[in-house]
Parts: sequence; C-alpha cells; structure tokens
Amino acid sequence: MSRLPLLDLARPSRRHWLGYLLLAPAVVLIALIIIYPLIVSFDISFQKVDIVRLDRRAPFTLANYQQLFGSAEFWMSCWVTLKLVVVVTACCVALGLATALLVNNRFRGRTVARLLVALPWAVPEIIAVVIFAWIFDSSFGLMNWLFFRLGLINETINWFSDPNAAFVAVVVTMVWKGYPFVSIMALAGLQSIPEDYYNAARVDGANAWNRFTNITIPSLMPVLGVTMVLVLLWVFRDFSIINVMTGGGPLKSTQTLSIMTYEHAFGFFKMGYASAVGVVTLIFCVLASLLMIGRKADGIY
Amino acid sequence: MFEGLSRARGGLRKAGLALALSTALVAGALSPMLAAAQETTLKFVSWQNDEPGVGGWWAGLIEEFKAQHPGVEVEWTKVERAAFADTMTTLFAGGSPPDIVHLASFEFQRFANEGWLEDLGPWFDKGGVSLDGWAGQQICELNGETVCVMMLYFGYIMAYNEAILNAEGLSAPTNYAELLEVARKTTKDLNGDGIIDQYGLHHPTKVGGGQYVTEMLNYVLDAGGRWTNAEGQVTIDTPEVIEGLTRWKTIVTEGLMPRDLSSGETRQLLADGKIAVGLDGPWLVPILANGAASDDVKIVADPLSPPVGGSSNVLGMSKDISDEHKALVWDFIQLAMSDDFQSSYATLAASPAPSPRADITEATAVTPEFGLLVEGAQAASAEGIDRIPAGLEIQYNEFAKMVMEESQRMIIEDLDPAAVAATMQALAEDLQNQ
Repeated sequence: MSRLPLLDLARPSRRHWLGYLLLAPAVVLIALIIIYPLIVSFDISFQKVDIVRLDRRAPFTLANYQQLFGSAEFWMSCWVTLKLVVVVTACCVALGLATALLVNNRFRGRTVARLLVALPWAVPEIIAVVIFAWIFDSSFGLMNWLFFRLGLINETINWFSDPNAAFVAVVVTMVWKGYPFVSIMALAGLQSIPEDYYNAARVDGANAWNRFTNITIPSLMPVLGVTMVLVLLWVFRDFSIINVMTGGGPLKSTQTLSIMTYEHAFGFFKMGYASAVGVVTLIFCVLASLLMIGRKADGIY
Repeated sequence: MFEGLSRARGGLRKAGLALALSTALVAGALSPMLAAAQETTLKFVSWQNDEPGVGGWWAGLIEEFKAQHPGVEVEWTKVERAAFADTMTTLFAGGSPPDIVHLASFEFQRFANEGWLEDLGPWFDKGGVSLDGWAGQQICELNGETVCVMMLYFGYIMAYNEAILNAEGLSAPTNYAELLEVARKTTKDLNGDGIIDQYGLHHPTKVGGGQYVTEMLNYVLDAGGRWTNAEGQVTIDTPEVIEGLTRWKTIVTEGLMPRDLSSGETRQLLADGKIAVGLDGPWLVPILANGAASDDVKIVADPLSPPVGGSSNVLGMSKDISDEHKALVWDFIQLAMSDDFQSSYATLAASPAPSPRADITEATAVTPEFGLLVEGAQAASAEGIDRIPAGLEIQYNEFAKMVMEESQRMIIEDLDPAAVAATMQALAEDLQNQ
C-alpha cells in the first residue's frame, strides 16, 4: 500500500476515483458506439463523397452544406418535420393527459382501463404500422369502409396517394403509438400530488377547472416537461412508421429529415450529403432539447 | 520421509499442471491455424435464401460446390431485401466484403463504380467460358469491364381471370385498347356498398420508385417510347413517352387498379380472384398456382408489345479478397453457370435461365406455362428492353424516384402529360450531368 499511494481509493480525497473507474468501461463503450460515429459523420459531411470509404478521405469542402441550404427539398423536409413534431406532440400530450386523468379516478374496471390505455405502448412499432397501413388502405381498408358507413364520404380516400391524407394517416398512427407514454408518465405524476392540495382548494371554493389549472397542471409540469422532450425527440427521429406507411411520399408530404437522411445515404448512396442532413438534424434535436429541458420546473408556480 | 514424499507429490502436481497449461496454450494457439489449414470459408450474402424455388436452387449449388471443394465452407447469410443495399454498402465500406457478391441489377453499378467488383473478363478468357447468347449479360459490361454475371433476365407475361372476363362477355385482351376496355368493365362494386371490390388491373405502386416506374413502363414501351435511347440520351419528351404517360394517367385516375399496394399484395389479390388482369414477371406463376382462383387464372403472352423485361440479379466477385478466395469464387460462379445448374434453375425457380444451353424439358413438364415465360424473355431481349435505362444506370434510384414523383404530381394536380414529360426530361438530364 505504501508503495502505491496513488491507488489508495479509501482516502476521502480520492474516493470519487472509484466512481470514475467503475464508470470508465461504460463511457468508453458509449464513446465507441455513439461519439465515434458522430465524429465520423461530422467529418464525412465536409467531404463530397458518394459511398464512404474509411481508408480514404476526400478533400474538405462546404459543398454539401451549400447544396443543403439551397435545396427546396431540405426546407420542405424541415417544414414537414416541424409540422409533425408540433401536431403529434400536442396530440400525444392532450390525449395522454386526458386518459391519465380518466384512469386516475376510482371506478369499476379501472385496472382494465389502465391496461387498455397502456396497450399501444407495448405493441411493437412495426406491428402497429402494419395494422394502421391496413386500416388506411385505400382500396380494402377499414377507415374508408367506416367513413362510407357513417356517410362521411362519397368516394374512397386515397390515403397514401393524397399529400394531406397521407400526413393525417401518419399523424394518427404516431399519436396512437405515442400517447400511452405520456399517459403513463402523467399518471405517475398525478399519483404523487398530495390530496391535501385539492382538499384545501375545495375549502377555498375552487371548482374542478380551477383545481385542474392551479394544482394539477403546475404539479405535473416537471413530469410533463421531460415527457414532452422525450416525445418530441421520438417524433423527430422516428423512421419506421413513415418509411413503412408512405416512404416519405406522396410528393415528399411526409418526408421528415430522418427519411431524407436515409434516402440520400442508402437510396441514392450520397453519404456526404446525407451526413450533412444528419448533422443539421442533430443540431435541431439538441436545440429543441435545450429549449425544453432548460425551463425551470418551479418557474410555473 | 513423508515430508519428502509430500514435497515430491507437490512438485509432480505442479509439473503436471504446468504441462497441462502449456498443452492447452499451445493447442489454443494452434487450433485456429489448424482449422484455417483445414477449412476455408467463403462469405456469401443474399436475400433469396428463403425464396420458394430459387432459394432451393442456391442451396443445391452451395452443396455441390462444397462437395467439389472439401474443406471449403460457404457462409451463406440472409439479409432482407429492404436492408440489402445498406448492409452490402456497410460491408464493403468497412473492408469486410462478402467473397461471392450477389446484388440486384439496379444496384451493382454503384459497387462496380467504387472499384469493389473484380473484372471477370480475364477469368472468362482464362477459363474459356462462353457468354454467347447469355441473356442480359451486356448489362454487366460497365466501363469496359465484365463486373458480373447476369443470373436472371425476364420478360413479362399476362395473367387473366377467365371467370371474371367471361362474366362480362370479354376475352383475353390482345392490345392496349382491349386491355383498357377489360379493365374498365371489370372494375366493379360487386356488393353495392359504394366501395370497389374488384379491380381490372394489377399494378403495385407502393414499393418504391423502381417498382412504380416499371409499372409505368408497360404503357410507355407499348406506345413506342423509351426513357433513354441506345446511346443513353434522355428521350422522355418524345410523343411516344407522352402517350405512355397519358395511358398511365388514365388508368390511375379512373381507379382501374387498387392504389398504394405492394407487389405481394396485388399478386395475392390477382391469385384470389379480386383482380381481373395482371402484367408481371415469371415469379407470378407459382403465386397464382396457390391462389384461391387458381382454376380461373390463365397465363398468356403479354398483349403489350414489346413486353417489359429486364435484368433481375447478378453474381460477382469482390476485388479486395485473397487470390485463393478469388479462385474459389470463380469456381462457384462457373458452377452456377454450368449447363446442369442452369437447367435446374429453370425447373426450380420456374424462370427462364439466362444460359442459352439450359435444358428446359423438365421445367416445361413442371410448369406448363414455361414456354410463355421463355417467349416473354426473348421478346423483351430481342428489343433490347431493360428496366434500367441506358445512361442512367448509376443514377437509377434517383431517376426512378423523380419519375414516380412527377407522375404522382401529374395525377394529383391533373397536369398535362406533355408538360410533365418536359419536366422529367430536364430533371433526368440534370441527373446525368451531376
């Protein structure tokens, strides 16, 4: 021990070293799996290359970014991504909060109701997409049949051939898949609000709406804030739902930045350009997360 | 004495342990070398492992190759078609390419362009292998090199449901006008609920640009049009292509086919009697045979002329592998090209084999329509038809996506086909000049 004083992890001043040592394998692994590809991707985005070869490097260029910012397709994808993020996140939060409030009440069959609310979260994404692709099928799907029966339409809607209809189909599928997460998180948050708050408010004459806006929502905001960030990032980066249902079409009406990145990388084999799209997408994601997480939870009281 | 004996036992135990350890270490170090000496492994990645017919053919080929090359193993890995190009790109770019390269005919050009595929020309010369009459082989000639061997060149045939046509007093169409009439009369709401439940035509349009453009090509070719000419110049703004676009617009806007379905779904609908007529490749035959309406579905020659035809998939060799592996891969390719395996390809895959020397007697006995499949391939080949337009091979995926989107725009915004053709012409030329 005396020969190796530096390794004396029992000394109070060096106790935290053990923590770093234990964390080191995980940090190295994350660096290899996440950080290294990010650096490589960043590097490739400054090279005009089609298929990437790690054994060669093309000259540094800003051509990919110049092409990107001058491309109508890129701005269209940004707009579609923004629309999708706003609409899906808002719907997920509204529906998730509503169902959480519902199943937070005491009633017969509450356990079954909670199970049903959480069920879509448990269904694998690809299975959900296949189910919804059939529901929205233009020729033989359930949705057209239902709308016909209800007298809402006179001719079938081509769900995946019409830009607006395709966007709606994608939104509905994403909301169905995403709202249970909000619901589960909000339910956990609701159960942590002390009943005393409500009792005191009742004594003060607050009605249900007052209690909801002045107690429930503020108390839930820390939970909802984090949940919204997670939902937002999920919508931002989700690929499989859109790729299977519409492939980004028709006329790029559902082409998000994720789909654009994939298509240019593995459809057109333009890795340099695709990396530039990926880097910009990453920056957007980081900015969005900072905006959401940066808010002080107690600032709402 | 006991102490001495005990010490001696301890020494023996230590010596035994040391011996065992050193034996294990030496064996451990030598075993990979011994295994390497005994067994060479060729990596082969494909998407056809489980495909009915053709999967069995590949399995038989591998077994025979292994029997002819004791000590050589073929590591045959399946990758789904949807992820195939991504996976192969990653394998090549990461420096661990498969030895035997299997690619679709619309994607091999990218790999060849990167210099990843061996020029097979010298191997053919050395082996004295003749490629005369090998269907679609000219597609594998790229930048003066033979970068692959064509494994399937097909031509379209027509399948029609005789019962559906008879119910309308129609017979099998023999040209575009009759095909349109059949499609219009057989697209029906059978139960009166306001929703069409029987369609006239089968055109899968969900899979992606490549499939969409191939479906359009039926009408473009019959109208006398081509996306590009033999010299690779874009010829989309010609009256013939405009006529082809007009026909496509008619069929889609009149709702004569189910919209936004994949090829698997539309083929099953045709096989089950929900679609009257289908224009498709040889792979349709086994699907129809297992459908609910198998007794009613008949196969005849494609009424559109020339029929859609083209290359499907190719076999090649990685450039960045050892000479020993290259020699083995060449043996594998030669075996795949042998008369025996070309004949069994026709039988098992129920598709025309590219080799002119393939014996199709057994295939014809197993699949009565086989003669029609061969005629379809020959008719397309005679006109030099390929799904991949000359001069746009490298940019094919972008080209297909562009044509699909502009066609969708034509339908959604009800645009004039001539104006759409002009837009496509300009965009295709831009792609060529990139």
